[in-house]
Amino acid sequence: MGIITAIGNSVPENRDALINGRSGISDLSLFPSKYAGVLPCAEIKISTELLKEKLNAYERGVTRTSLLSLQALKEAVVDAGLSPEELSKDSTALIGASTVGGMCLTDELYHDANKSDNGSEYLSSYDCGSVSIYLQSKLKIGGIINTINTACSSSANAVMYGARLIKNGLADKAIVGGADSLAKFTINGFKSLHILSDEKCRPFDKDRKGLNLGEGAAFLVLEKEEDIAGRKVYAEVTGYGNSNDAYHPSSISDEGEGPYLSMKAALEIAGINQDEISFINAHGTATENNDETESRAMIRLFRTPPPFVSTKSYTGHTLGAAGAVEAVFSVLSLYHQEIYPALQFAHPIESTGLKPCLSYAPSSLKHIMSNSFGFGGNCSSLIFSKL
Amino acid sequence: MLYIHQHTCISPQQTFNDIQLESLRESVDNKLKAFEPAYEGIPQGILRRMGKAVRMGVGAAIPILKNTPAIDGIIIGTANGGLEDCIKFLNQIIDYEEGLLTPGNFVQSTPNAIAAQLGLMTKNKSYNITHVHRGLAFETALIDAAMMAKENPGKNYLLGAVDEISSYNFNIDYLDGWYKKEPVSNKDLYGSQTPASIAGEGASMFLVNSNPQGASAFVKGIKTIHSQDEEFIIQEFKKFIQSHFPANQKPDILLTGENGDSRLLKYYSAVELILSGTNVLRYKHMCGEYPTTSSFACWLSCRLLEQQQIPGHMNKKIADNLPVKSIVIYNNYKGLQHSLAILSLP
Repeated sequence: MGIITAIGNSVPENRDALINGRSGISDLSLFPSKYAGVLPCAEIKISTELLKEKLNAYERGVTRTSLLSLQALKEAVVDAGLSPEELSKDSTALIGASTVGGMCLTDELYHDANKSDNGSEYLSSYDCGSVSIYLQSKLKIGGIINTINTACSSSANAVMYGARLIKNGLADKAIVGGADSLAKFTINGFKSLHILSDEKCRPFDKDRKGLNLGEGAAFLVLEKEEDIAGRKVYAEVTGYGNSNDAYHPSSISDEGEGPYLSMKAALEIAGINQDEISFINAHGTATENNDETESRAMIRLFRTPPPFVSTKSYTGHTLGAAGAVEAVFSVLSLYHQEIYPALQFAHPIESTGLKPCLSYAPSSLKHIMSNSFGFGGNCSSLIFSKL
Repeated sequence: MLYIHQHTCISPQQTFNDIQLESLRESVDNKLKAFEPAYEGIPQGILRRMGKAVRMGVGAAIPILKNTPAIDGIIIGTANGGLEDCIKFLNQIIDYEEGLLTPGNFVQSTPNAIAAQLGLMTKNKSYNITHVHRGLAFETALIDAAMMAKENPGKNYLLGAVDEISSYNFNIDYLDGWYKKEPVSNKDLYGSQTPASIAGEGASMFLVNSNPQGASAFVKGIKTIHSQDEEFIIQEFKKFIQSHFPANQKPDILLTGENGDSRLLKYYSAVELILSGTNVLRYKHMCGEYPTTSSFACWLSCRLLEQQQIPGHMNKKIADNLPVKSIVIYNNYKGLQHSLAILSLP
């Protein structure tokens, strides 16, 4: 696995912050926006220039989203011990996900889209596909390459697609994940919907005021069961579900129909009962709409939901990266048999009464569910299991 | 792998109602814009708010949704989705210096808006996904649909692809050297000896499942490659063709995405050489160049297999006459993303 978020540049750094309850949400200091100092974000405090230097990535037109991806991908490849030969095989797939892609360069895009004089160096870097295309060329990955965009559930679907490629014999290894960086586009987009909080987000709290945007990238290396003998294995992908809420372009139905259906579908694929889920990494964006509807869906499916936490109180909402970031956190919980505490929570939502876990706790965990829901009603749930 | 049962297409040609492929509609200012229908079946209030990409996608899908009692998944490929809305919102951000903005364009701008709108309009709560992998967005959606059909026999999936010409992506790709600087008509596209192509757009939709009964076409295989190494690409193509056609067999038609770009001709020539003796047809003078044209080629192939009639303007090299039982589609996008697909009679 590999990861970079506002709480750390690697898997061990992220785990350390989770154990110690250190949030990455702060004032913007690198990203130029009118909202710096007004709307807190989970910004990775490494400049784009420094990322290029660290990664020796000086290709023309490389964007921050691609650089964050490369950082996480390299860590994952080293962690899994994948050789260049293994990467270049046509049975090694790379499934990425992003919602912003190169649109983090809002000002350059404005110029290139509207003016007909000289273009910038980023002309072929704006689309979401640019990220996976860059990673493929950098690491010479030989199998199926893809990019998924289902808004905030994008990289959960990348995990699902990769797992299904292996199941269907179309890949032996699938590197799956996603990335997004902070962008004026998303800050202003979510601002226009009035769902950004002016303080650190408080998932599942009755006084929550909205979400904080974050940035990050995470990748996981999936391998087929027959090949894992003698290799380090963190966990098994046992379930996945994808359902549409079919209710509204930017909010979830009152009873959380889409979330309920995706969780249920994941349980069916995993072949387990709802009471076998030991822990949920909730979507928990801390918006009025999400946390209430997600709570209702959890109550509907589990009656008494298992322990749960939204780690967006650490990383902010990393959009297209969130599913992969939270997949890494879920797998860390399983592998180390521990639960990380929810931050900034004080009072439960009155109508549901659900309280997330509030302190770090070693726990016996067998199956962890990770939820991601997005605009367009795109809901996905993943289940990771201890071997 | 996958059976296609229904297929619809909105394109720059007369491909939607009263299909007529013999006469060619012409490009204007190096653009082949979609010949859009009246969109019966989309409520006016909703239609007005839709950007062009969403409108074409939903419009093309409606006949299939109407004819199919239950759709078990919506699988869309689009490189950019509604880019027009996206840049409109971007322009607001810059022009109003991050002031108070209206969210309409933002919500419409996300590439998953097409699949989402289809789900919303039909209250379809099943599998819903959007693949955005640029020049292979349709191919990776097709692979997804093939896996779904295999995993869930008896279920029906809506598979499709959409991309639009917006003034913005035209500008970006023009600056990047992918559209011709001199005026070139689609009728003379292949005679042009210069780099770059002309712009196009469209939406193609398919009802697919694992059932051969009553199908229009069978998708026998698909291969995607990322490479600029000509030798490597040729070797991969040979392997793929050989794995699907024994030594004494060959496809009846090679349908290529040749696009008038002098820089890319070598790839098309190489594939023609591998399949020498096979009839060669071309399609981009009909739809222009955009990231998901292979979905247009897929729609055309279904049509050729059903009708057994080839519009004369598609011919590049005719060695043999009908019947058409199998078609190999080869496309490449910007010389980097390549795909081969085999469609045959079911």
